[in-house]
Amino acid sequence: MTEQNTEQARIRVRGLEKSFGDRKVLRGIDFEAAKGTSTVLLGPSGSGKTTVLRSLNVLETPESGVVGIDDVEIDFARLPAGKAGRREGARLRAQSGMVFQSHNLFPHMTVLENVIEGPVVAQKRPREEAVEAAAALLEQVGLGDRADAYPFQLSGGQQQRVGIARALALKPRVVLFDEPTSALDPELVGEVLAVIKDLAAEGWTTVIVTHEIRFASQVADQVLFLDGGVIVEKGTSAQVIGDPTEERTRRFLTRVLDPG
Amino acid sequence: MRHVLRGVVLFLLMVIASPSQASAAPAQDAGRPVVRVGTEGTYPPFSFHDPGTQELTGYDIEVVKAIAAKAGWKLEFVETQWDAIFPALDARRIDVIANQVSRNDERQAKYGLSDTYTYSRGVVVRRVGDDSVKSLADLKGKTTAQSSTSNWAKVARDAGANVEAVEGFAQAAALLAQGRVDAIVNDNIAVLDYLASTGSKDVEIAANAGEEGSEQVLAFRKDDNALIDQANQAITALKADGTLAGISRKYFKADVSVPDGGSADLSEGRGHRSTWDVLRTTAWPMFVGLVKVTIPLTALSFAIGLVLALLVALARISSSKALSGVARAFISIIRGTPLLLQLFIVFYGLPQIGLKFPPFTAAVIAFSLNVAGYAAEVVRSAILAVPKGQFEAAATIGLDYSHTLRRIVLPQAARTAVPPLSNTLLSLLKDTSLGSVVLLTELFRESQLAAAESNEFLALYAFAGLYYWVICVGLSAAQKRLETRLDRYVAT
Repeated sequence: MTEQNTEQARIRVRGLEKSFGDRKVLRGIDFEAAKGTSTVLLGPSGSGKTTVLRSLNVLETPESGVVGIDDVEIDFARLPAGKAGRREGARLRAQSGMVFQSHNLFPHMTVLENVIEGPVVAQKRPREEAVEAAAALLEQVGLGDRADAYPFQLSGGQQQRVGIARALALKPRVVLFDEPTSALDPELVGEVLAVIKDLAAEGWTTVIVTHEIRFASQVADQVLFLDGGVIVEKGTSAQVIGDPTEERTRRFLTRVLDPG
Repeated sequence: MRHVLRGVVLFLLMVIASPSQASAAPAQDAGRPVVRVGTEGTYPPFSFHDPGTQELTGYDIEVVKAIAAKAGWKLEFVETQWDAIFPALDARRIDVIANQVSRNDERQAKYGLSDTYTYSRGVVVRRVGDDSVKSLADLKGKTTAQSSTSNWAKVARDAGANVEAVEGFAQAAALLAQGRVDAIVNDNIAVLDYLASTGSKDVEIAANAGEEGSEQVLAFRKDDNALIDQANQAITALKADGTLAGISRKYFKADVSVPDGGSADLSEGRGHRSTWDVLRTTAWPMFVGLVKVTIPLTALSFAIGLVLALLVALARISSSKALSGVARAFISIIRGTPLLLQLFIVFYGLPQIGLKFPPFTAAVIAFSLNVAGYAAEVVRSAILAVPKGQFEAAATIGLDYSHTLRRIVLPQAARTAVPPLSNTLLSLLKDTSLGSVVLLTELFRESQLAAAESNEFLALYAFAGLYYWVICVGLSAAQKRLETRLDRYVAT
């Protein structure tokens, strides 16, 4: 990572602050992620990790702070209200794809239609090209034969893999994962994590919120441990998960790795 | 249910298919001034539809046609219920009323009245043998049935009667025969003609209503001097050459175009027709009213109403306080006032501020606004029922507001909205019958016309009901299909 210092990092986050009502959920978040790396956000529920992730694609709007992905950057303190602000938000959002905890597939569309909706309708790419790319992606996530199925006809793991294909079809600079396995039955978790691991290995830049510690230590180039709206500890997975320095991180890991 | 429906449809088809002629519009020369004639079309023998040919005919119709021939007018008949006929003249939907308009001071002041073409006298009608009604004076404290704005209503009121407003003499006679009112005040000619044509043995003439006879005239707008002059010249000429007397004798066996025309000899009345015969000749016009007016009116109003409803619903959901306030007020007004009133405001009210629409357009406006008011809430809650995650997913794949709405939200909202919207559609179909009061000759109006002329209220209204019911059952079946289709992507 250090050899790219002359080039700016793919993801740049500085001083994010966000409140819900009078509850402050982010109290100054700073981090960067280089192109092709996987960043994992860990932390107890309510720590603010999902809010950080959702700030990266402006599903949440922080009061202040900066988020930059590649050459699009928003300074939230200066974000204009109304239409102009929404247009800026949309530009930043277009830099990423997102995989949701509860997949949020469009139930009235087939698997293929779900995947090509963004490329064809939003990005105005030719339909044949989008279908071809979608077929390849579905093949890659192991669902090459389910293109014409409706989401309700798939298992939870299959649905989540369609969600991943849908996000990748946008050819985003960054792929965001919001607890992609939390809503799945335990026996379905593995197939989804395997797909995400492959992506990371292929060089996609990813940011992942997860509770799967073992998975995190395998996939992460960088681990951020959040608590109370701040980053408590930041480093490689070997540092943060293997040898945490902070008491709060240690307590969390113990609880998660050895419940009960 | 299905068997019953099939039987009913077969029955309807059978009745329609039995011989009857549809009317053809009479061709007229171009280049003459077009004069629109308002007339009831349900008031035999003055203005009614010939049961055989369905053509508008009658004493007043023939008189006004004779006048037009002399004056060089091109006529266009607009059939209007009596209570709506003067407002229609005021609103310039018609140019003249040919419908036994009696001369009185009020009308003389407000309208341009022609010379007299008919002289008649008032009579009191009672149930056969009801000795409590022997004279006009006996009406004090009794109830009579009258067209509320007719001259006879005033005579009855002056005699101390409570007046029930009805539409036309046939309805009044039915109410009297059923014992719902005690008497009717009307002119002798209409009463004798009713007795002769229906063969009714339930009502009879009890007495003269006052000493004075009345004079019937054409009513124009006050400032239409050219038309009034032409009409008066024509009437004078037609009296001189015996044309008016001829028309009069054809209908009344007496000359009512002069003040002392004598009593009518109606012994050879037009004869009573069987219920089956009436149904057979009315089934086709009702079907035409259904296909040409009721269904297009319903379809168009519903389509426009849905688009408006969507806009209102979006405004209601919008974060703009002004927009959502306007939407809320619109919904509240539409749901808080009667549909009939909304229809009257559009048809009779708006012309007073310069917004005049033809009847069909006016009805489409009123009905689609009404649909919008009701459907907006349905659409709004259906949109709000789509999970927030769907909006977020649409945003993350880059869809803008209108694509999100059209491609993601509305298809899912449709599932929730179809059953309540189907109810709105069924209500609308039936509510279009209100179009009958704004000059629309739709299904219900056709049955009214036929019932007034034949006295077959039960048979004709039941028959019209069958038409409505069949369409509603069809729509319900379509709704089921649509629901099944929309459910295809949901686990069952």
